[in-house]
Amino acid sequence: MPFLPAQQLRPRRTDVAETVITKPSPLPATKPPQPAGRRRRRGGLVNLLYVPALLLFAVFTVYPLISGVGLSFTNWDGYSPEKAMVGLANYTRLFSDDTFRMVLINTVVYGLGSTIFQQVFGLGLAMALDRPLRGRGAARAIIYLPVLVSPVIMGTMYYLLFGYNNGAFNDVVTFFGMDRVAWLSNSTASIAIIVAVNTLQFVGISMIIYLAGLQSIPSEYYEASMLDGARGWKQFTNITLPLLQPAFATSIVLNLIGGLKLFDVIKVMTGGGPGYSTNSVSTLIGVVYFDNQSAGYASAMGVVLFLMIVLFTLVLNSLLNRRRLEA
Amino acid sequence: MKSRWTLLAAGAVISLSLAGCGASGDAGSSSEGDGSIEVQTGLAVDSKLLGTLKEVTNSFQQANPNVKINLVPSTTTYEKDMKVRLASGNVPDIWWTHGWSRDRYSKFLLPLQNEAWAANFNPALSDAMKDDAGAFYALPIDTDIAGIIYNKDVLDKAGVNIADIKTWDDFDSAAAAVKAQGITPITVSGKANGPAGNLTDWIAPGAFSKDELAQLKKGTFVGDKYKTVLDLVAKWRDQGYFNPDYASAATTDMDHALAQGQAAFIFSQNNRVNNALQYSPNAHLGYMPIPSLTGGSGYLVGGEMNAYGISKTSAHAEDAKKFLAYLAEPANESKLAQSAGSAPGLTNATPNMGALQASYDQWMTQAKTTLVPYFDRVYLPNGMWNTVVTTTDSVITKQSSVDAALGQVESDFKSLYGQGK
Repeated sequence: MPFLPAQQLRPRRTDVAETVITKPSPLPATKPPQPAGRRRRRGGLVNLLYVPALLLFAVFTVYPLISGVGLSFTNWDGYSPEKAMVGLANYTRLFSDDTFRMVLINTVVYGLGSTIFQQVFGLGLAMALDRPLRGRGAARAIIYLPVLVSPVIMGTMYYLLFGYNNGAFNDVVTFFGMDRVAWLSNSTASIAIIVAVNTLQFVGISMIIYLAGLQSIPSEYYEASMLDGARGWKQFTNITLPLLQPAFATSIVLNLIGGLKLFDVIKVMTGGGPGYSTNSVSTLIGVVYFDNQSAGYASAMGVVLFLMIVLFTLVLNSLLNRRRLEA
Repeated sequence: MKSRWTLLAAGAVISLSLAGCGASGDAGSSSEGDGSIEVQTGLAVDSKLLGTLKEVTNSFQQANPNVKINLVPSTTTYEKDMKVRLASGNVPDIWWTHGWSRDRYSKFLLPLQNEAWAANFNPALSDAMKDDAGAFYALPIDTDIAGIIYNKDVLDKAGVNIADIKTWDDFDSAAAAVKAQGITPITVSGKANGPAGNLTDWIAPGAFSKDELAQLKKGTFVGDKYKTVLDLVAKWRDQGYFNPDYASAATTDMDHALAQGQAAFIFSQNNRVNNALQYSPNAHLGYMPIPSLTGGSGYLVGGEMNAYGISKTSAHAEDAKKFLAYLAEPANESKLAQSAGSAPGLTNATPNMGALQASYDQWMTQAKTTLVPYFDRVYLPNGMWNTVVTTTDSVITKQSSVDAALGQVESDFKSLYGQGK
C-alpha cells in the first residue's frame, strides 16, 4: 500500500453514506414469491393483531383526550351529573390567572432545567464510563438504579433528607454549629431541589442512551483523527457530538416530556407549596380538578399542557433533525 | 385452519381487553356482585373509630345474618376517590360524608329525616347538615366541636392561664410569653392540605357580622373583613409565632410537637388530640374557645364530621337503613362517638370525650359557649377550601402579600360561586 497523507485516510461523511446506500443485500431471496391473494390475507391477519393495542390506545388515550377537550368548554365540578357549556370562558380565564402563569413558568423551569442537567451529566458520565475502567459495569448499574425506583419513593427519601428537625442535611449543619435550615420553605430553593432530585433520578437514562450512541461510533474515526493531530476537545466537537445527534434527539425529547409532566416528586416533597409556588401544570391540574372542583377549568389547563408538550417536541425535533442533516 | 386460530386468538385478546375496560362503568353499587353492602368508612385502617365500627358491625351481622356489610377503610385520597366514583356512577351503598352530606353529596343521598332515630338529631348540627326544608342526608356519628387546642403544661410554664384569654390581644400576650420560653407558640403543618386553612376557618366566623355572613351566603364577597383574618395571620408570622419548619412539617409533626411540649397551640379538630396522646399519654391537653375579631364573645366551631349517608341508587337501601338505625342505637352511637373523641351526633347518646371531657364540660356544658358552623362549608362556595388553605399558606410563607392573597380568594369566590349557581 503506498503512503497516503493523513487527510486522505480520514473517511469523509459522503463516503460513509455511499457505502450504506450501495451495500448489496446480504440475503438472497430463497423462497419463491407468494401469490398476491395469500399475501393480502396474511397482511390482513397481521393488521388484525394490531387491533387490541389500538383499542387500548383509543380507550385510554384518545378517548380521554377528546373527552378532556370537551370538558374544557364546560363548568363541570368533577362529580355532579349536570354540567353546562361555557364556551371559551375557561381559556380566557387562563390568560388572566396569575397562578397559572407562575405555574407555567415553573413547568418550563422543571422541563428545561431537568433536560439540560440530565444531558450534561448524562453525557459526561457516559463518556467517563465508556472507557475501559475497572468497575465501570458496577458504576453504570449504580447510576442507573434510581431509574428503577418509583419517583414517590425517591421524593420521600429526599423529603426526609431535607427535613427540618430530623433531616440528614440539617444534622450536618447543626454538627458544624450552625442553625437548622428550612430547606423547603423557600420556593426558589425548593424548585432547585426538585430539579436536582429529578435529574439525579433520571440521569441514568441519558447516560445509557449516550453510551449506546458512543459505542456506535466507529473507533476508526478517532484513530484517523489522531493521525490528523486531533485530540480531546477537537475530537469531541468534530466527531463525538455530530455523531451523537440521534442520541441527543431521543434523550432530550424523553427528558423534556418527563420534566414538563413532573408530578410525583413535587407532590411528595412540597405538595406544590409554599402557596402554589412549586406546582407544575400537572400538579395544579390535580388541585384545580379535585380540590377546587373546577374540572372544566382544569381540563383547559390540561389542553394547554398538551399543546405545550406537542409544540416543544415539534420544535426540538425539527431543530435536531436539521442539525442532523447538516451534520 | 391456521388463519382461523389466529383470528380466534385475536378475538379473545380483544374480548379480554374490552371486559377489563367495561368493568367499572356500571351504575349502582359496586358490591352488587356478592350482595354485600359496601360502606366506604373514610377511616384509616388503624383508627380507633374503625375498630369500634367493626365491632358494632359484627354484632349487627350476628343479629341480621342475611345482610352482609363490607367495611372499606379509607385511602389517603378519599375525597378524590369519591368524586371519581360519583362521576362514573360507581357509587358505594353507604359512605362517609366528612362534613359535606348536604352541600356536596345531597343530590346522591337518600334523605333520612323520617327515620326513627332522626328525632334525636343533635340540634347543634342543624346549621351544617339540614337544608331549608329540614331534610338531612346522613347519620351523624358525632358532633364535631373544635377550638384552639393547647398544651396546659407549656402554658403553666409560661405563666399563662387559659381562662384569661378572651380576646386576640390576650392570645397575643400568651403567645409572646410562650415564645419567651423558647417554645413555639403555634405549630402548623404547611405540607398537609388543611392545617393552614384551619387558622382562617377558625378566626373568620368572628370577623364578620351577621349581615356580612348573610351577604357571603348570597355570593357577595366581603373582602375588607376577610382581610382582617389574613392580617392577623401575617402578624403572627411577623412575630415568629409559627414553627420554623412550617413548610415541610407534616400533621404528625404537629401532634408530636404538641404532645412533647414543643408547641403551645394548634388550630385543629379534636382528633389531633388522640393522635398527640399516642406520643405522650401524660400530656395535659385541652381546648379553649376562639376569641372574636369583632369584640364579641368567644365561640367554638363545629358541625358534621363522622357521618354516613345512603346512596339513592343503592340496591340495598332498606338493609342500609337498618344498618344505620343499628349504629344510631344509644349504646352504639355512644361507643362510636367516644372512639372518635367527640360528642355524639344524637341527643340520646352519652358523651365521653376522654382527655377532652373536662374542656367539653367547661365550655359546652357549663359556659354554654356558642357553637358556630365551619366557615368555609357554610359561607363560601363549594370548592373554596383549597383556596382558603393555599392563600393562608402563602401569607405564612410570604409567597403572597395579604392583598394578593385576598385577591386570589375573591377571584376564586366569584368564579366558584358562579360555577355552583
